[in-house]
Amino acid sequence: MSVNRARPWGGQPVVRLRGVCHRYGTVTVLDGLDLDLPAHGYLALMGASGAGKSTALALIGGLERAQRGEVVVGGQDLDRLAGDALAAYRRRTIGFVFQHFGLLETLTAQENVELAMALDGVGREERRSRARELLDAVRLGARSSHRPSALSGGERQRVAIARALANRPRLILADEPTGNLDAAAAGHVLDMLDELRSEHGCSLLVVTHNPVVARRADESCELVDGKLRVP
Amino acid sequence: MRWSDAVTLALRGALRRPVRTALTTLGVTLGSGLLVALAVVTTAADTKVLDRLGQGNPLTTVRVAPAQPRPGQLDSDALQPGAPHDLTDAALASIRRAPHVTRVVPIQTSRVAELSDEGGLSQDWIIGTDMTQVSTLPITLLAGRWPAANSLTEVAATTDYLFKLHIDGDKPRQALGHQVTLTSPRIAAGDTGPGQGRSYRAVIVGVVGQDLTDGDFIVPVPQVVQSRQWEQGGAGSTQFPVNGSPYAGAVVVASSLSDVHTVRAELYGMGYATSAPEHLVASVQEYLGVVNVVLGSIGSVALGVALLSIANALLAAIHERRRDIGVLKAIGGRDRDVLRWFLVEALAIGLAGGAAGAVAGVVIAELVGVAVNQYLVAHDLGSLDLVGVPVVIPLLGWLGTGLLAVIAGGLPSLQAAHLPAREAVVEA
Repeated sequence: MSVNRARPWGGQPVVRLRGVCHRYGTVTVLDGLDLDLPAHGYLALMGASGAGKSTALALIGGLERAQRGEVVVGGQDLDRLAGDALAAYRRRTIGFVFQHFGLLETLTAQENVELAMALDGVGREERRSRARELLDAVRLGARSSHRPSALSGGERQRVAIARALANRPRLILADEPTGNLDAAAAGHVLDMLDELRSEHGCSLLVVTHNPVVARRADESCELVDGKLRVP
Repeated sequence: MRWSDAVTLALRGALRRPVRTALTTLGVTLGSGLLVALAVVTTAADTKVLDRLGQGNPLTTVRVAPAQPRPGQLDSDALQPGAPHDLTDAALASIRRAPHVTRVVPIQTSRVAELSDEGGLSQDWIIGTDMTQVSTLPITLLAGRWPAANSLTEVAATTDYLFKLHIDGDKPRQALGHQVTLTSPRIAAGDTGPGQGRSYRAVIVGVVGQDLTDGDFIVPVPQVVQSRQWEQGGAGSTQFPVNGSPYAGAVVVASSLSDVHTVRAELYGMGYATSAPEHLVASVQEYLGVVNVVLGSIGSVALGVALLSIANALLAAIHERRRDIGVLKAIGGRDRDVLRWFLVEALAIGLAGGAAGAVAGVVIAELVGVAVNQYLVAHDLGSLDLVGVPVVIPLLGWLGTGLLAVIAGGLPSLQAAHLPAREAVVEA
């Protein structure tokens, strides 16, 4: 098993992967992956389709459990979390931004942002006020009552960013956040992600196959055949 | 996630596919509507049929005669009287103390002669009972009102007496206000003549149909007591014997239908002949039970199919919303949040369909009731009004449908709750 390391970071890493292996059937997707992401860091994880970037993201986000190796995020060993504890981890430590936006079509922009807080038991008034603040921050305050189907792709992704920040997470995981957007909207969304990351003091891990997106990150690395290659 | 949030998610989810939701709800409406309609009709029919068997009286009524019972008494609904056995105050007190007896209404009779306005004399019986408890007795008021409880001048004529007045039985009101002169006889020992008489005049204030005992007038207790006291002052004669038993009978009300036989057995043990429609009621109840089971099965199958349609609709919705479920979990939703979401959706469809079904069921039952009644009247079978819905049936139908919908939606909801969060990042 080969061991690949990301560039050495200064300070305590918010994400720490050691010897992570994962396979689907006979296909090895991650093969001894080592990765560190420091607090307030911005890392772009690149790779071709099937390179294992989304799997790495799913393991860090607690959507899947690593078959081998260690995944520690914010000091929590994910292998030791299950059930409600794992859900609480996803709720409070992680903010997800999906390529497909991941908004519930039946809810308005405001309700989508509120949903993340509703799952954490935040009171109605408090979550309403914070959702308004976040939508204002992504410059969608005027469209808070619109459903996703009435918003453009860029606007939807901005709602998703607002939702990702709702519970003040330590880490934002963005899976191809600009994959469904045109260049202008993509630039706008990336600006916003970076700006809000700094403002909220969280780390950002972006999975992308787009070098333009990767260049905006503090650091970038590439997954090739389940191993990390640092440029 | 709070219940209110689950309700919002569920309702929005259900309305996302309005046609599918409407069709599923319609299926539930039809199923629960059919079940409610059948329940209403059978319950109303059972009640009315049993009421008819009781001829307007409680079916728990047992009639007691002042006579010894024959050996086969308990196997027969009809009175099987043997040798006379006086029904005394002591006996009535014992009956009142017997288990499962809720009420005892004694009946007293006295022989009277009635002097008609034309000067003719006829022999009659007056039947005295507690006018405050006539609802317990097999007596139906056909016209006018009941005599006042302690009146010495008011009587109710029976339908037998209408015949003597040459009044058509269909026009009982014609007898109201008619004055009668009633005379109680007293025959001294050895007196072979007509004896003495104590007469009083009374007015007919009501007309009744009765199945208590032979007699022309239903009177308040004081009238019959005075008449008997006068009569028993003499020795009686062959033509006018003094009635030995203080009471001509009694009506005993058992605490429930299932206690009627126990009460009769108790009375048999005390040495009294009785009658009660217990075997007839049991047979009718058996037949009604079979009908209820058959109709209930039909309704249950319909409701079962409707509930399967809820499960099917939920499965389709879950398949369609796999990514939404994944996203919900990815942003921190727990299994129970997802479970709550889909159970509430099933409950919402169940309650909506159940409410519409309850209303539809009641309307169908009313229409069936009207149609059945028209048929019965048209075929000279008398009326059997099935209209009059016990509110508990549609209420139970509504709540029961909601509960069953939750049960039907249980497995699909569990399936949704156990979907992996990974679904959030799976390619659509």
